[in-house]
Amino acid sequence: MGELLLDPSIRVWVFLPIVIITFFVGILRHYVSILISSTKKVELQQVEDSQTLIRSRFLRENGKYIPKQSFLMRRHYFNNEETGYFKVASKRPSQAPNPITDPSMMTDMLKGNITNVLPMILIGGWINWTFSGFVTTKVPFPLTLRFKPMLQRGIELMSLDASWVSSASWYFLNVFGLRSIYTLVLGENNAADQTRLMQDQMSGAAMAMPPDPKQAFKAEWEALQICEHHWALKNVENDLIGITAGHQEQSSVASQT
Amino acid sequence: MRTRKEKSGEVVAYSEAAIRHNHSILEYCRTSMSALSGFTAGVIGLTGILGFVFYFLVAIVLWLIILVKVGSSWDKYFRGRLNLLTNGLGGGLFTYVLFWTFLYGMVHVY
Amino acid sequence: MTTKSSEEWKAPLTKQEARSLLQKWREENTRCPEKVRDVWQAFDLRNSVGDEKWQILEQVCLAAMDLHDAVLIKDCLTQLDAKFPNSSRVRRLKVMAKLELRERYEDALKVYDDMIKKDESNSILYKRKIAILIAQRKIPEAIREMSEYLKKFMNDSEAWLELCDLYIQEQEYSKAAFCMEELILTNPHNHLYHQKYAEIQYTINTQESMELARSYYSQAVKLNPTNMRALYGLFLTASNLSQQAKYTSQKRRENAKIASWAMSHITKIYEDAEAGKHQLSALEAMMGSLQVNSVN
Repeated sequence: MGELLLDPSIRVWVFLPIVIITFFVGILRHYVSILISSTKKVELQQVEDSQTLIRSRFLRENGKYIPKQSFLMRRHYFNNEETGYFKVASKRPSQAPNPITDPSMMTDMLKGNITNVLPMILIGGWINWTFSGFVTTKVPFPLTLRFKPMLQRGIELMSLDASWVSSASWYFLNVFGLRSIYTLVLGENNAADQTRLMQDQMSGAAMAMPPDPKQAFKAEWEALQICEHHWALKNVENDLIGITAGHQEQSSVASQT
Repeated sequence: MRTRKEKSGEVVAYSEAAIRHNHSILEYCRTSMSALSGFTAGVIGLTGILGFVFYFLVAIVLWLIILVKVGSSWDKYFRGRLNLLTNGLGGGLFTYVLFWTFLYGMVHVY
Repeated sequence: MTTKSSEEWKAPLTKQEARSLLQKWREENTRCPEKVRDVWQAFDLRNSVGDEKWQILEQVCLAAMDLHDAVLIKDCLTQLDAKFPNSSRVRRLKVMAKLELRERYEDALKVYDDMIKKDESNSILYKRKIAILIAQRKIPEAIREMSEYLKKFMNDSEAWLELCDLYIQEQEYSKAAFCMEELILTNPHNHLYHQKYAEIQYTINTQESMELARSYYSQAVKLNPTNMRALYGLFLTASNLSQQAKYTSQKRRENAKIASWAMSHITKIYEDAEAGKHQLSALEAMMGSLQVNSVN
């Protein structure tokens, strides 16, 4: 397959515009998503539940650093049969929010779709329609025939070498390749996010709760139940003296002289 | 909030937040490097295997630069020296290929 | 935290540095109102910081409240109010400036209760209420409120630390120890937590708690070998335990060994720091007297 000569106007009117459009649409999408994202109202119960789960996880992971008595006391608080937090919590009437009946969740989902999926389809469709059928560029490395449908969307030319890229595929390459550039340009936590925090105080460490806390409680209860306590500080004095025994001799010699 | 690592019986504690910060800075370096080297490769018109070799060469140069910058106390900031090279190598390649193709198309195809 | 005097840092600081300095203080909750005000007034940051402006304004406003600088408070509040007319965060600032600062605590409590009703999961409002109680020196009430608060927000380690201090004020050491345990759970690598826990156990002063104190002092020293306070604590507990009448001689000898280790370690740190001869001899004399004290 010999060299294909492309009209330089394609470069100015197709190749370059696609890059610029994808880039700016990405930036625009970022700001629009900040603009329309609503701060979620967090229920007190939800905060309490998530914080309890975190605390219980800490107890499991770091329980070895507190005395056995204290560990058992805390485990009893979470796990005892009658009044343990997890037992009581898993008997609470279920309030798993139904996305159909809860309108706020519907809007949230819709907003997510609007900012993520919709522009992809809209801009993709528009680009496909406006710039359809152009061979825009050539990737500077040879590719096998298998890449043809991926890179030459919208062009049905059997004899064309696989490394030529059609306009539609060039758009998709841009969408995926520019992702890391966005973090470079927009920063990971840029100032725009901070203003939203200012508008309404975020409530502590309220984080995403699993949709059904009961399941999480049960899992945590089990994990905590089988968690054994091995006090990490049992031999710490001897460890301490052992580790620095060399030092000790040195220093005792030094202090004698 | 901290992670630990066993090394010859010694427990070393790391600050999770600090590690994440270091990695985000590394990520920044890597993305910039990928984009810039992609530009370069496209402008000078590298093709085929040569372009990929160029990318890995630049990645290694960046790694060496970071190592020099970090100096002898690297274990204070990172868990392993090889991680600095391998982390995000694939993601950087994506950015690199995009910019390479872009500039190559702009300069050499038409 | 910078320890430079205000004249020193004023001259060479650029706007960018001033901004990052303010950010650092904000993130570390450093309470240095004079410095914040000085930086704010020395640099006209109003138009050069973008969206960070509002956070800085809040910070300056809080600093101004610490300093009772009515003009500056008013200035900040009008700007913030104009930008965020419905924000609960700005409203809190206003309550702090208008009610708390003038010690109209009952009114402030009422407003906070109203605000909590509207936004139940806002931890800052609960904390303000507790802060008012502490300001009124109603420690038992503050403790009660704090416990209620911690039932809801169990992971607030600052609150646990504050509750621990409140209990220490009330001399309820075993409850204070509970709070410290909670902090150790959240971050077992912080030597200061271990040290403080050991200090509480040392104050309780039963045989078991002494042993616990010894273990936790050791852990603190292990995590940070230059923690002098923990080293002294270890020395005191171990030498105290070595005099324990109920112990077997084997156990007493072990404790004596730990005490002598701690002492030699302290001496070594002093020597490394190149302390003068008279300082070292003073140290030896002090060690001796500490030992005598702990016998009694």
